[in-house]
Amino acid sequence: MDNRELWTALGMDLEKHDDFLAPVPAIFTSLFLDRPNRPKAMGYFDMVVGDVHGIRVHELYAMKEAGAKVFSTFCVYVPEEIIVATGSANIGLCAGAQYTVSSGEKVLPRNLCPLIKSTMGFKLDRICPYFQVSDWVIGETTCDGKKKAWEILNEHIPTYVMDLPQKKDAKDTRLWEEEVREFASFIERETKVTITPENLAKAIQTINNKRQALQRLANLRKHTPAPIHGLDVLLINQLSFFDDPVRFAAQVNALCDELDVRVKEGSGVAPVDAPRILVTGTPQPLPAWKLHALIEQAGAVVVGEETCTGERYYKDITEPADNISDMLANIAKRPLKVNCACFTPNQGRMEDIAFMADNLKADAVIDFTLQFCQTYGVESYFVGKEMEKKEIPFLRLESDFSDEDQGQLLTRIEALIEMIRA
Amino acid sequence: MKQAGLDLGSVNTKLVVLENGKRIYNQVIPSRFDSVQAGITLLKSYVEEHGEKPKKLVVTGYGRVNFPEGRVITEITCQARGCHVYFPDYAYILDLGGQDAKVIKKSAQGKVVQFIMNDKCAAGTGRFLDVILKGLDLTSMEMELATEAKPMPINSMCTVFAESEVITMLAKGIPKPEVIAGLFKSTAKRLANFVESVGHPECLIFTGGGAHYSLLVHFLERELKGKIVIPSDPELTASLGAALLA
Repeated sequence: MDNRELWTALGMDLEKHDDFLAPVPAIFTSLFLDRPNRPKAMGYFDMVVGDVHGIRVHELYAMKEAGAKVFSTFCVYVPEEIIVATGSANIGLCAGAQYTVSSGEKVLPRNLCPLIKSTMGFKLDRICPYFQVSDWVIGETTCDGKKKAWEILNEHIPTYVMDLPQKKDAKDTRLWEEEVREFASFIERETKVTITPENLAKAIQTINNKRQALQRLANLRKHTPAPIHGLDVLLINQLSFFDDPVRFAAQVNALCDELDVRVKEGSGVAPVDAPRILVTGTPQPLPAWKLHALIEQAGAVVVGEETCTGERYYKDITEPADNISDMLANIAKRPLKVNCACFTPNQGRMEDIAFMADNLKADAVIDFTLQFCQTYGVESYFVGKEMEKKEIPFLRLESDFSDEDQGQLLTRIEALIEMIRA
Repeated sequence: MKQAGLDLGSVNTKLVVLENGKRIYNQVIPSRFDSVQAGITLLKSYVEEHGEKPKKLVVTGYGRVNFPEGRVITEITCQARGCHVYFPDYAYILDLGGQDAKVIKKSAQGKVVQFIMNDKCAAGTGRFLDVILKGLDLTSMEMELATEAKPMPINSMCTVFAESEVITMLAKGIPKPEVIAGLFKSTAKRLANFVESVGHPECLIFTGGGAHYSLLVHFLERELKGKIVIPSDPELTASLGAALLA
């Protein structure tokens, strides 16, 4: 089956899909492929993007033919280990395209986060093969916009919602653990596969390996000169959500081996004095490359992402255990260490940012908020305060997935760089 | 040695030339939607008058990236540098340009420490005032009366809606001076909040074309409960800063 036959089988709107994908090769070539001195091991990830709606979708389709299910997620809190244990696929869906925002606005208010509108639009337009190949969406209650949007999405694809608490007290931990246990039963029911100590232990190991590979990559970025562009790492972080976890971890480790050599040789992709930027805030889901591209175009290098398409996804791993109950308890524990702005209070996040800024030797912090994101938008006040206390230059940026404000964003980024260099 | 600063703004394009640190030339012309062309014209007329191009050139402002020559520095850095010449002791700058508004905090050395910009929404920019004042077709008498008038509150956040709010008020027979006073007061309030999201200056440097509206300055002082100082040519400080950095 070729790509078009596959897309037809998935009920996609081929005409619209062609229109959506048409500009991507040119953008990807100029932003990624044309940049000098990229690590050779980026070749694998370039290949994945080069056929982003092909290779992996074929694999998922084949898995389904063999009886497995595909579960789509939108948040780093959803315990993918449980899905993987049953031999089914967990994929984090893309939601970073302006193209689908206007379709999303047919059913959602305009003054809503572009990520939610983009997601909804992908489903309504039928142009995302990952959405089309999915049996279920696993939603969560990380913000009011998503919480209510799941109800609408459920009209188009079965949507299961996990109730994430808003505090991290003992009773919240209990609630979340219960949610995780219920989720495990739900997955068993849906996949008709029983979770065993063996398959769950293996899944925990698989996902831990993936997270550890990403940690290794993140840690290499603390070196000067930066061995890899932030934009390349962002791409890898974005792909981590839907590639096959075993193959992906192997490829990230291969890249890290190459970067180890660069670090040893003292070579990198940016001059030694290039300003080092830590990006914090809301995620940049595929294909939202604008922010990183502008920062690096302006002569700086992004050395870390305190976001869900970054550190928040991989900073913690799940502790192994020897029985299912303890494993599920540990699976529940990991996400509660992640400091998302949906929690209150969220002082841990300020500590995370301060630690990252120090560890990565960041010259400045750019706190990025997607338009209309209430939780991160409000919390940006504390990020600014913390950076002032630490005397780290700080810039607050708000944007969406559109291209129109690139000039305005670039002016701010350039001024920040001038500030650092003055 | 001659050094020049060229500020390619959305509404006006400005050139300042210094010789051994002293200002020998300045000129402002409208950008007419093509600030790059306006900049070329300005430089050309300078060369016609003075015989030669300045040795060093820094370009800044919205059109800077497309200008064929000169070193590029953002208007934020240039503004801080230019203002520092006039007011080395004051830290906070409010710049109200045609297309955007900025608040800049500078250090004792005139370097930028922090800044914020609004260029996404016309409300609270020079454009907002221009659009509405143009529509009102004011006499200088009415403008003067506005200083004493009781300001009518204007609530709309959007330029287009604020304009219709103003039209509705006038249709109801509310005197123009009250409407104008309201317009400046609401803009001042918005700008004061903008300033206070960065800090609480006892004395604020006010630059850009917007600093020419004395009524705005009046209301802004009241809102901020502080003093406002304005450089002699408030629309030229960024180009002066650019020349100094050249």
